[in-house]
Amino acid sequence: MTSRDAAILRKARARDLRDVVGQAHIIVCTGAGGVGKTTSAAALALGAAAAGRKTIVLTIDPARRLAQSLGLKTLEHTPRPVRGAEGLEAMMLDMKYTFDEVIDRHAPDPSRAQRIKSNRFYQQLSNSLAGTQEYMAMEKLYDLHHAGTYDCIVIDTPPTRNALDFLDAPRRLTDFLEGRFLKLFLAPGLRAGRTIGRAVGFGTGLFMRAASRITGAGVLEDLGDFFQSFEGMYEGFKQRAQAVYRLLSSPGSSFVVVTTPEAPALREARYFLRRLEQDGMPLGGVVVNRATPRPAAELAHADAEALEAAARQLAADGTEARVAAKLLHLHRDLADTARREQRAVTAALHGVDPVALVEVPRFGGDVHDLSGLELVGRHLHGPVA
Amino acid sequence: MDTADLLDIRVALVTGKGGVGKSTVAAALAIAAARTGRRTCLVEVEGRQTFSRLFGTQPWDFSEREFRPGLYGLSLDPEASLAEYLEMFYGAKRISKLVVGNAAVEFATTAAPGIKDVLLIGKVREMERRRDDDGRFHYDSIVVDAPPTGRIVNFLRAPEATTELVSVGPVRHQAQSLVDMLLDPARTCALLVTLLEEMPVTETLESTEALRRLGMQVGPVVVNRVLPRRFADDERKALTDDLEVEHLARVLDGAGLEVDTDAAQLLLDRGREELARIDLQDSMRERLTEHLDSGLFELPEIYADDFAADEVGLLADRFEEAWQ
Repeated sequence: MTSRDAAILRKARARDLRDVVGQAHIIVCTGAGGVGKTTSAAALALGAAAAGRKTIVLTIDPARRLAQSLGLKTLEHTPRPVRGAEGLEAMMLDMKYTFDEVIDRHAPDPSRAQRIKSNRFYQQLSNSLAGTQEYMAMEKLYDLHHAGTYDCIVIDTPPTRNALDFLDAPRRLTDFLEGRFLKLFLAPGLRAGRTIGRAVGFGTGLFMRAASRITGAGVLEDLGDFFQSFEGMYEGFKQRAQAVYRLLSSPGSSFVVVTTPEAPALREARYFLRRLEQDGMPLGGVVVNRATPRPAAELAHADAEALEAAARQLAADGTEARVAAKLLHLHRDLADTARREQRAVTAALHGVDPVALVEVPRFGGDVHDLSGLELVGRHLHGPVA
Repeated sequence: MDTADLLDIRVALVTGKGGVGKSTVAAALAIAAARTGRRTCLVEVEGRQTFSRLFGTQPWDFSEREFRPGLYGLSLDPEASLAEYLEMFYGAKRISKLVVGNAAVEFATTAAPGIKDVLLIGKVREMERRRDDDGRFHYDSIVVDAPPTGRIVNFLRAPEATTELVSVGPVRHQAQSLVDMLLDPARTCALLVTLLEEMPVTETLESTEALRRLGMQVGPVVVNRVLPRRFADDERKALTDDLEVEHLARVLDGAGLEVDTDAAQLLLDRGREELARIDLQDSMRERLTEHLDSGLFELPEIYADDFAADEVGLLADRFEEAWQ
């Protein structure tokens, strides 16, 4: 670690997410799957509400008990006030419903919208195209922003393995829908094949024959119909995607990258931090969940052999001495783990500025109620006025 | 099935929620299988280069390479699979050259859902069926660091989902032969990895149920990072109720370790948190055993200031012990 790195880390560790909670209009929590994004998002939203800001948390797939504590018993697509937390509302994202709304908005008339929604390919697409969920999350985000009801909107991104999908989603989906390539090779179903064949040469025809043999004929017809019904709608999609992108890059937005101290999650966090930097997206900070607490300073510097000698001596004695011996061994084991984690965090942040770096220690149990969220919040942003 | 039976499974699909350590478990299982003399291949899907980092080798790719005696590694990606698939079925290098480019892969991976998985699992099936000149199977054991369980469930529903879109053609036929392999208990077994925490346990129960309903064999649930039970009952009681911080400081002092009460308090706090975690662990284990008949296989938390090939080796020891 260079001294410049060390200085950046020290500064980041001294800061927390207080400003994010107090000022950001949009907070996007992102990171690998299973790192505690939903909990972090809920805790930040609770903090923003406690600061007197009208807040909504949009969540994708919360654990059942956390959902219950937010007052979301079933998958509901409308904002609900969270009981026990003034100024806080919560809602879950219903993908299919949001996609239908998008189609309704962009379609030139209801019959066209109906034609798209009843297409077999659309029905598959709304469930399975990579990036769809992310795109829909952003659609909803934009809606909530546009409605102007909330001071602060907190969103927990879908649990994709590759968190980058979230940023790429609008581009990917519009690219896909625009489908230059697909239109090209579907062309014979749509237009005169000969023109296309001439334009791109012999290769395309060969590939199309192969492709239709792989997929069968049905899929090509459905796809053709699908793309035809989208004709004229791409521009609307594109503009919308660009508006979302602008909103996310504006200074009122703040990304919070969530991770655990384990190498795979940290690698994704690093990738994402660099990507935010490249795209000029505003970073609020990094949250390291489930960190093993670092040992007390004086024990941390104690000589390992002295500890072991003391533990050996105590182990032969009465109950309380044995407990003391085992506490020393527990300390040794946790200190090893904490060292490994700290090294992994430092390595992952090499050459990037995390702005704020907050570690949330692992708790004895799962966080699933408001008081648990408040506890997490105290680590994330300190006490709120 | 028992943990011992895992050795006879030709394809183990190691799956689970993000962050539970399924890659580590897959690596440990593969090492253990190779140690018993089985020619084994460890397969990474959607290359993250997790294994090459873990084992300190060159980056893995689409060719199978022996990185330890009897242990091969392979990293699968849809693009390379698509190229191979097209060559296999059409014998045309020209086609594969033509389609391997972003647009074509975009088609294969997004336009027709399921095709990506047909390609990935198709490669696994090819390896599973591959025979040497003497007629014996080339690999005894194939361990796949598989995608999250939801994807596997979707794939098993593929005959409906894929044929929804792909009604004729070789993919339809391919998809069916892959489902046949996945559903054959003599050939394939899903291994779900979990932690003894609420969300992973809930997901494991749901996934087991979903896979079973689709007819897939589910092996013992692999519980990763199980904390040791350090404190005996009387010690536990002393730690919870009786031990006061000043007393602990005095006891340590008596053993030649000078600590102030703050440090002693931290030791106590850590100890009590540990007990809470053990309680959670116990209740989660109970929940698993109550709802599962496939049994549990537990791997311990490894306390080390590094986690690399040696530490995975320690976990492999556990599999080997279970097989003896």
